[in-house]
Amino acid sequence: MRASNVLSASFKLLPWQRALAEWRTVDAPVLIYMAKATIAALLALWVAMTLNMADPRTAIFTVFIVMQPQSGLVFSKSYYRVLGTIAGVGMSLLLMGTFAQDPVWFIAFFALWIGLSTAAGLKYRNFQFYGFVLAGYTLCIVALPVIETPLEVFDIAVSRFSEVVIGIMCATLVSDIIFPRRLSDSLITSEQERFRNILSTLSDPESVFEAFDESNPALNRFSSGVVGLNAVRINSSFESGADRKERQHYQHLNHEYMNLSTTFHSLKSAVSAIKKRERTEVLNALIHLYAPVASVLKTLPDTLLTPGDMNRVIGELFELKNTTQARLESEHERLKESASVEGEDEFTSAAYLIVRLLIELHSHCVTYLSLLRHRLSGDASRELSRGVRFSTHTDNVLVALAALRGSGVLLITMMFWIWTAWPYATVTITMAVVIGLLLGTMPNPLDGVKDFFKGAVIALVIAAVYDFYLIPQYTSDLLTLSLLLSPVLAYVGWMTTRPKLAIFSFGFVFMFMTQCALDPYYKIDPTKYLESSLAALIGIVFGGLAYLLVNFWSCSLTQQRVAKSLRRQIVSLCSGALNVERSALESTGRDLVQQFSTQGRLNMRSSRLVFEWLLTTLEIGRSILAIRRSLKRIYPHYYHSSIDTSLDAIKGYFEAPSQSGRERVLTTLGDTINGLHSAVMPKEKGQMQRIKMLIVELDLIRTVLLNSETFPLNREDSCRSI
Amino acid sequence: MPLDITLFGIQMPTLLPIFVVTAVVQILLDRVMSDGGVYQHVWHPGLFRTAVFVCLFSIPCLLIYR
Repeated sequence: MRASNVLSASFKLLPWQRALAEWRTVDAPVLIYMAKATIAALLALWVAMTLNMADPRTAIFTVFIVMQPQSGLVFSKSYYRVLGTIAGVGMSLLLMGTFAQDPVWFIAFFALWIGLSTAAGLKYRNFQFYGFVLAGYTLCIVALPVIETPLEVFDIAVSRFSEVVIGIMCATLVSDIIFPRRLSDSLITSEQERFRNILSTLSDPESVFEAFDESNPALNRFSSGVVGLNAVRINSSFESGADRKERQHYQHLNHEYMNLSTTFHSLKSAVSAIKKRERTEVLNALIHLYAPVASVLKTLPDTLLTPGDMNRVIGELFELKNTTQARLESEHERLKESASVEGEDEFTSAAYLIVRLLIELHSHCVTYLSLLRHRLSGDASRELSRGVRFSTHTDNVLVALAALRGSGVLLITMMFWIWTAWPYATVTITMAVVIGLLLGTMPNPLDGVKDFFKGAVIALVIAAVYDFYLIPQYTSDLLTLSLLLSPVLAYVGWMTTRPKLAIFSFGFVFMFMTQCALDPYYKIDPTKYLESSLAALIGIVFGGLAYLLVNFWSCSLTQQRVAKSLRRQIVSLCSGALNVERSALESTGRDLVQQFSTQGRLNMRSSRLVFEWLLTTLEIGRSILAIRRSLKRIYPHYYHSSIDTSLDAIKGYFEAPSQSGRERVLTTLGDTINGLHSAVMPKEKGQMQRIKMLIVELDLIRTVLLNSETFPLNREDSCRSI
Repeated sequence: MPLDITLFGIQMPTLLPIFVVTAVVQILLDRVMSDGGVYQHVWHPGLFRTAVFVCLFSIPCLLIYR
């Protein structure tokens, strides 16, 4: 986005200046990154060679593993890589010390460890995942080479660990000192983009009051983007530039954004229910109620928002917020005069949603302004007292499956090793374990394995050229070796900037670094080269086979799991503890759905369906919490036992969904609402407000339930179509 | 100060524990400085941080190898 701003500003410039600007924003970062990666790798090579490390390749390999264009990513990846390596080294010392004489127990605990790290890698997000991958991988590279000579395990453990630390230090040093690129800058740009998205969606009354359109990209954009941004925020916390206050702002923005999108979705479903029953007067009244909000947002310019603009809009929104209640009443009166009474409840609940949207929008704008001010001048206009946690949820079946796959592939390759008694089969084991660990979180692991294989084959060819021709022919010292290596290193650096080549480049680096003759003293043996290459390729095939075979995951199973866990969430809200925060509710649900949509092979139609379920659950869950909280504050003589009955009905319906249950819930809700309407309203203002709130929330649940035809009954088999 | 020390039965250069302690100190100092807004007045925060670390690390090193 920043690039496009610079580009649009450059249209006034001369042609060569424009070309220069384009080069600077598009091509220069790639070149800089290539240079950084090469420098870091050569630095690591130099340090490792100077310190006489046994295997300088590990250091260079580590550099390429942790190297990323943005500094924050490098820091967090390095942090978890160190943790993972420590765990792996410790585990290999323990295993070799305990079971070096006993193959059965050794293999059993080995498999257990690999299974555990695969499972944990899936359970944790972002680069934490990477730490667990490394914990498993390190065990392979430390314990397997010395399996015949267990007494050497301590030496190899220390030297592998030192090499990893050298690689990490070189990578972090270079990426933080030479042209550092801050993650927090890209964080603010994506936040700006998201904010503008919200404003443009909300400023257009059509997008609110038109029916759901499957192809509408604006709507999809509005609903995605929470989880991804949270991931970036976690990583940016490793950069020191982003201080505590800024992190809190981002947490709050994320939380408010989740709330906004839930409210938006509920409003849309309420509107579409009204449309379905063709209550034009109600709809017109709502459009009339919403119009001022849209017109305020329309006045914002399309370019970058300044604090001045924001200030003005916030003032206007605040004004609106204060007058909305009055306008709501007058619209209500007018509606009562002109139309039948039936539309009244629908109007109240939809109007309540509009008011909620307005309130949430206002506070989102205030937080955003505060962030802008904080970045520009260091004084935040809003004091945020506490952080909002982003809770996560992972499905246990997914995790168990991954653990099974990880341990299984290890056991199979171990058997391959024992039966063939091939000395190089340890390479096969390592490779299969790496594939199982690393590609497990990808949406489509099989394609990943293919890419990895291609990269590995090409790397083998290039490594052969280096091993047998270039290095013996042209290198005499470290300087010539560095000069000779730098083209390949720069090429790898370039590949890592291309998202399409991510796995390919990983396979390339992995194979090149295991096969290239970068020992302190040149030694290469063609037989060893050929045999270990063959073993590695066999290992990749084993890893791929594991993905092909251990894969019971299908679209309809995913849908079932999601529906089940969402239903369980509602059930637990109906009777469980009351201290659940709305932020926890929202973030767990979203994280769950996000994970399923990358792992669960959903097609477009069903992933949209799952997202709808999620928003339905969030709205119902929020309403249930609100109802239960206000029930606690109501005086006993205004208490209606019918509310409890309807909560029970909801709970029963979500525990065991059925058509008759659905009808019962709807009638119970309707009866309760009618009962509350006809009951005597309390005189005290607070109590009256509370009863009114109860009616609105109950009505909201009814509207949402009426409108959600596929959840939780799961009537439609969206997986089979297409 | 001796050049080598023995920790948990393993002999290692004294530089290693010093490095670990310095890293912890550096992390704490970094947190304080970023919350205090020091980095807003520094031209190149990365370079500044590295320089601070080098200073912190070399003072005890000089004491040992003097």
